[in-house]
Amino acid sequence: MSNIIFQPTDLAQKRVQVLEAARTGGARVRDKDGTSLVMLPESRLRLLEQLADWGTAGLRLEQLLARATRPTVADLGALGWLRVFDDEDQREFLDELQQALLAAHADEDLGVLDGCVLAWRTTARQLEDPLRRSVLMGHLDATDLEDVDRPDAELTDGQ
Amino acid sequence: MASERAYQPLQPARRPGGRPQERPNYRVLVHRKFAKHWRQLTDRVGIQQAQELWDHLAQTPTEMPATASTCFLRGKAGLPQGPGWSRTIHYEVTSKARVDYQFHNAFVTEAGGDPHQVVAILTVNFSSH
Repeated sequence: MSNIIFQPTDLAQKRVQVLEAARTGGARVRDKDGTSLVMLPESRLRLLEQLADWGTAGLRLEQLLARATRPTVADLGALGWLRVFDDEDQREFLDELQQALLAAHADEDLGVLDGCVLAWRTTARQLEDPLRRSVLMGHLDATDLEDVDRPDAELTDGQ
Repeated sequence: MASERAYQPLQPARRPGGRPQERPNYRVLVHRKFAKHWRQLTDRVGIQQAQELWDHLAQTPTEMPATASTCFLRGKAGLPQGPGWSRTIHYEVTSKARVDYQFHNAFVTEAGGDPHQVVAILTVNFSSH
């Protein structure tokens, strides 16, 4: 971020410079009461917020998994959806989350972090249903499977 | 009389339910517990989406589809369900229909049979997010 400190009056008189500073890293404005304000690109703010939120969640989960007892849904709070996973999978989530946080920080991009969380949440949803869970957590055998043809407009189950 | 090359604004379109022109690379199988769900797929998502899914599974299950979003399931649910099977791939047909599948490049479906490429649809899910 630039070392320039803008004054409130600069928001009108030097708006081009203020906006350019904000675009390129951050514009610092000293308010009349001395409060320092910073204008950032929204994408940068979201990155910082997400890193802080998921960093805190990761630290909290790490503490919970270090305990001798399995965390309850209440313990997990916003990560309550992790309840469908066993202890080993919860630790695997924590490992991947920590790696994704490091990558997102290094890349200044949330892609890896978003992808990590989305994939784990998707898996949790799939495991919520007992029938899906029984198949996804099972072992596949040839006798479990049957052929399916390409869907045909004239051959649907509803007809 | 108009020549055969004259502009013809109205021409017959290919029937959506037509057979694929390419020979499938993978034999498409479904887990028996979800065979009934599979038969409902066309009614749920429409013939075009159902055929796009089947074509992806039959032709290029190892690649990212152009129009649908996919990811590998995580944890034990994403592990291969036996030697030779891929990890579990989650494919979103629409916001209300998803399937999970694994593929195998040398699967033998019966004793003494030839190894061949198969895709196994493990689950079909019609619930909303």
